[in-house]
Amino acid sequence: MTEALTPILIDDLAVTYGNHQVLAGLSLSAPAGSVTALLGGNGAGKSTTLSALLGFVKASSGRVSVCGIDPRTAPDEARRHIAYLPENVALYEHLTAVENAQYLLALSGGKQDRAAIAAAFAAAGLQERGWDQRLGAFSKGMRQKVAIAVALLREVPVLLLDEPTSGLDPRATADFNALVLAVRGRGTAVLMVTHDLLGAAHISDRICFLECGRIVQDVAAQGPERFDVRALHARFAAPAKGLAA
Amino acid sequence: MILWMHEARLLLRQRLAVIALGLLTVLTMAALAAGMAEISRQRAAIAAIPVAQAEDIGAIAAWVDKDKDAGSAGYYSFHPTWDTPSPLAFAALGMRDVAPYILRVRALGLEAQIYDGDTFNPELALPGRFDFAFVLVFLAPLFVIALCHDLISGEREAGRWRTLAALPNGGAALWRRRTWLRLALLWAVLGVPFAVAAAISGVEITAILAILLLILAYLLFWAGLSVLIGRLRWSSVANAASLAALWLVLVLVLPTLGHVAINRAVPLEQGAEIALAQREAVNHAWDIPREKTMGRFYASHPQWANSAPLGAAFHYKWYFAFHQVGDESVSDKVREYRRGLESRDRIARGLGWVLPSIGVQTLLTSMARTDLAAQLAHRDHIHDYHRRLREFYYGYLFRDRPFGKADFERAPQFDEES
Repeated sequence: MTEALTPILIDDLAVTYGNHQVLAGLSLSAPAGSVTALLGGNGAGKSTTLSALLGFVKASSGRVSVCGIDPRTAPDEARRHIAYLPENVALYEHLTAVENAQYLLALSGGKQDRAAIAAAFAAAGLQERGWDQRLGAFSKGMRQKVAIAVALLREVPVLLLDEPTSGLDPRATADFNALVLAVRGRGTAVLMVTHDLLGAAHISDRICFLECGRIVQDVAAQGPERFDVRALHARFAAPAKGLAA
Repeated sequence: MILWMHEARLLLRQRLAVIALGLLTVLTMAALAAGMAEISRQRAAIAAIPVAQAEDIGAIAAWVDKDKDAGSAGYYSFHPTWDTPSPLAFAALGMRDVAPYILRVRALGLEAQIYDGDTFNPELALPGRFDFAFVLVFLAPLFVIALCHDLISGEREAGRWRTLAALPNGGAALWRRRTWLRLALLWAVLGVPFAVAAAISGVEITAILAILLLILAYLLFWAGLSVLIGRLRWSSVANAASLAALWLVLVLVLPTLGHVAINRAVPLEQGAEIALAQREAVNHAWDIPREKTMGRFYASHPQWANSAPLGAAFHYKWYFAFHQVGDESVSDKVREYRRGLESRDRIARGLGWVLPSIGVQTLLTSMARTDLAAQLAHRDHIHDYHRRLREFYYGYLFRDRPFGKADFERAPQFDEES
């Protein structure tokens, strides 16, 4: 697959904050229509990887490309191809769900047609009575549904998720996973940062384990080469030196 | 355009923003109304002068006509001078609130008449009256700070910054758009009521446009400061506190220190001291031989030297002469006072290039002709008019011509344009 056709491509990426090296030779690619989970402990560099894809941080070496575009040199162009859901979806509480969606879509340069938004809300599982309510009383799950609906409407080739299911109850997590799979089904490359190994194993095609700024294990999560969850969980839960060995 | 509408909706749904814009609207309109009412009151007072003057002169003329004494006519007749406010004066009352805009002068010593009222409380004079200039210079920056201090920090604290920054139009363009929107709304809140008030007051369109530009430039300065502080990535509270401190320093502390420094650099007697010196000189004339006074007077005004000599009885020409000699005795002080005032004004204007608050105030009062230059020009008109008054009365006094009822009508009239 050529670079331009690969939605997410990271090659030997190094990022340093002051004297602290956060990413050290990270390489990762995610093809269209796939879900890749990025797992790792706190400070492993998961969020920095997303920041690099969004053009928020400067690489000290290596390459990042989103659909063939370097987000550092052409951030707006790269961001046209990316939908991003932070860990805590914070929207404008004094706007309704529809108004929030319209605003975010306007900032994305997309259409803000109410019918399309309603359809996306329905697809995201947001109940109709909440569409014209202000977001002040929305739960985290409901806010995520608004945000994912916006991502659905944008029809971008890359979806970045930062700890999307943390704090969600099992039902909301299941709904969310179904949405992610639907997005993947439309050909979107999904890169999901998470701590939840079992959740990741459920919806991901690949799981990459990140430690000290580099991927130390890259395994298939589906198909005949699917990893052994129990063995991996035992290893992942072991002291850090065990993984590094 | 769609993005601007979304941003406007977002802003106008925030209670604090709506309250801030509403409050500034009320303050602006109140200041404009107060300014217009004050100027209207001054215009009405000036318009009432001819009738009151006719009544006054009529009463004096009836009495003077009995013995046709020019001295009595000159002594008892007050002649009005006035400083008609410019159409823009309502926006910046400037020195009109500390300098009399109507002064009734007699043909006696002028300096005491001018400087009698030249005392005012400097603490009250510093911020000036509650007019549009006050709202713009002192209050508007606080509203810029209120609306702009948390543009980015507020989003960061609410957890929305990454969501917004990850959108194609959510980077620097978003913050620029938000800043300009807030500026535009503040500008409209200040500018639209001002433009309406100015149009009603008959201000020229070029002056209105110039002041609208001035408002924009001043708001831009404060928005620029807010953006600079915002770039330091502090919390919203820290941003607000820093900007409030800057407001305090730039709008209150430095101008006050500048005022004190200018006063120290250019020491100046108060105008009241000139009045006192003139009065002392005049009073002293009672204690010295009249011939000495007349000698000094004729030396500087030889055209009257061939007037009949004084007799033993009181004669008004001696009285008028020692008043004029009294004026001349303080002429150096008057010149020095004026030079000092102009020098202080020049330095203050220079300070306006460094301190925008002073610069805006200076420009506004200059355009409204309520500044020191306008006051000094008005004093020049009074001096010129007083000189004509003296010549008029001296023509009767020193030539011993009778002064009848009809002669009152020949008295020179004050003309602001002359």
